[in-house]
Amino acid sequence: MRTEIVIRHIGLVLIFNAIFLFISFLISLFLAESSAASLLYSALVALVFGLFPLIYVKSSDYLTILEGTSIVVFGWLTTCLVGSLPYILWGGEFSVIDAWFESVSGFTTTGSTIINDIEALPKGLLFWRSATHWLGGIGIILFTILILPGSNTSKLVLLNTEMSPLAKTNFKYRAVEILRILIYVYLGLTVLETVLLKVAGMSFFDAVNHSFATIATGGFSTKNLSIASYNSISIEVIIMIFMVLSGVHFGLTFNTITGNKKNLFKSSIFKAYISFLFIGIVLVALKLYLNGMYSWWDSVRYASFQVISLGTTTGFATVDTAHWPSFTIIVLIYFTIQCAMIGSTSGGLKFDRIFIFFKSILKQIKSIQHPRAVLSLKIDGNPINEKTELHTMIFIILYLGIILITTLLLTFLNIDTLTAFSGSAATIGNVGPGFAHVSSLGNYSDLPNLGKLILSINMILGRLEIFGIISLLFIKSWK
Amino acid sequence: MKIKSKILAGFMLLIFMLLIAGAMSIYEFSRIGNSVKALIDNNYKTIEASKTMIEALEREDSGILLLISGQWKKGRTILESADSSFIAAFEKAQNNLTEENEEDHINQIREVYASYKAKWELPIVGTYKENSMEWYLNEVHDNFLQVKIEVEDLMTLNQESMYKEASALKQQSHRALMPGIIAIVSALVFLILFNFFIRRIFVRPIQKITESVKNFHQSSEGLKSDITYHDEFEVLENEIQQLIQRLRIKNEN
Repeated sequence: MRTEIVIRHIGLVLIFNAIFLFISFLISLFLAESSAASLLYSALVALVFGLFPLIYVKSSDYLTILEGTSIVVFGWLTTCLVGSLPYILWGGEFSVIDAWFESVSGFTTTGSTIINDIEALPKGLLFWRSATHWLGGIGIILFTILILPGSNTSKLVLLNTEMSPLAKTNFKYRAVEILRILIYVYLGLTVLETVLLKVAGMSFFDAVNHSFATIATGGFSTKNLSIASYNSISIEVIIMIFMVLSGVHFGLTFNTITGNKKNLFKSSIFKAYISFLFIGIVLVALKLYLNGMYSWWDSVRYASFQVISLGTTTGFATVDTAHWPSFTIIVLIYFTIQCAMIGSTSGGLKFDRIFIFFKSILKQIKSIQHPRAVLSLKIDGNPINEKTELHTMIFIILYLGIILITTLLLTFLNIDTLTAFSGSAATIGNVGPGFAHVSSLGNYSDLPNLGKLILSINMILGRLEIFGIISLLFIKSWK
Repeated sequence: MKIKSKILAGFMLLIFMLLIAGAMSIYEFSRIGNSVKALIDNNYKTIEASKTMIEALEREDSGILLLISGQWKKGRTILESADSSFIAAFEKAQNNLTEENEEDHINQIREVYASYKAKWELPIVGTYKENSMEWYLNEVHDNFLQVKIEVEDLMTLNQESMYKEASALKQQSHRALMPGIIAIVSALVFLILFNFFIRRIFVRPIQKITESVKNFHQSSEGLKSDITYHDEFEVLENEIQQLIQRLRIKNEN
């Protein structure tokens, strides 16, 4: 492996971070905030470490798979580390571990926070917090490879490493074209949501920050009470629509907008995904109403927002779900594990795998009924090969295994079972809020430092789809 | 880019980062200095003046009790001395208005103190007030307590503000310290990277050239070192190639 090439690419990623840190600095400077110096210094550190390898290492026309994987994994880790610098430098509620947790949570679009008083943060730092979501949402590596120079072969290797293979099934374009589509949809949705939120009554600053967090399916808000602080139905409806749009395959959204036949409405996965969300809303709303917690209208309103928020891995809240009935909590935990569609900005297990899992069960039943039949698994007419099917099953088992292990580790640290389980599922799924102590309007500040570190590893595993990181641990098998 | 420029650029980046960290620390430390000065100027002076006023009030209260007990000379001496120290302290506080609502507190103190003073300025010894605890409790003591409460409120206002400033100072000291720590850690990482690049970019080409010269001796094949950088190493390789060519021509002749 050419380590210098890996370092050079990570340097490019850091330059990209430096640009957004500098924008955050300008906001702080303009508002004469205490975070200006912290943001400027962080931008300079990112820039210096970004430029340094460019002096010594020439660009390369090709990348090996090991180099691509190393760039993606170490690029994400370095980005999270540099992203924590402004928090560490500024101080306030941030210890070093807390700053790391917040940064990882931002870049992986998890949205779990350790901050008790979000509104006390300077606006420059709040913007950086949302920017980490936005950069992480589409994958900072993808941003970098599209905008910065490099050969198409290198871009293809990085795209294959950063993006799930299943995500590419709805793209019939070249690597650079796929990247362009992703960026167009991403930018378009961000601008549109910002405008709509501004019209609905949010300040421009809040509208931008909430758009960043919605489109990236992140969940960081600029308010202590998240979306509940606005108590506005129009804002909630806009955010719900954009949460759903951000939770579906961007290629399908692009095809729908451009009038392509292979669009959202023709996708059986999209139809199933929307049906699941709808059933979830009905079940939660019904239980809330029957328990006499809210009126029917409020039950529907709160259930819709919470189910969509968790089912798209965003994590915004309009109500504290900590005291909701156990049935609703179980339904919401299902959505926390299910996550959104592949090809969207969300992380975690992804609905497509659940869909393949159910189809695979049906296939197994049929194969028992007709032992001699040659059965193949198809989605929208496209055959899913045995390798993909097996990979999906292993992924689901590994995913659930990690949730189990981290739950065990957290309970070993004397964290109660519901907090530990929901926290583990919410972090590996890049959802954000869990239940009990880490509920929708709560935060992760009370967890022990070791617990925060375990959960931050979960977030990175969820974002990088587990195998990327694990494969680097088995360095010998690369040879 | 030439080797000299590459090394210089690397060092320049390191120096730049350290200079900025130093500048940030100096800036934050100077802010701490200013904040400490402001802390003393804004709040500490008023807190000290408030303490003096409370002490003067206590002495005035003793003076009044002495007058009631018939000790005219001692009572009046204490009252005059306490009054002058109260007024001096009050003027200090009055000239050091730094907090929101502080002026309201000063005006309130002025008003209630004037009312209190009016009670004991008039003769006490030889009047119905002498030996009358009833007069003291009904007409003087409440006034005394009122002035004391107002002064204490002024002191609390400044103490709270001082606490806030002190908390902010803690943050500032954190902000002054952290760039230094991050600069040290970054410099260490930087040096590790620098060492890595020097080995990869400078030492490896030398090894490659040496190896290819050795191979040339052994196999008499052309000199090939696979150097891809356009710097002095490329020039060196070309020079060696030319030297070999010249030697070859010379030998053939």
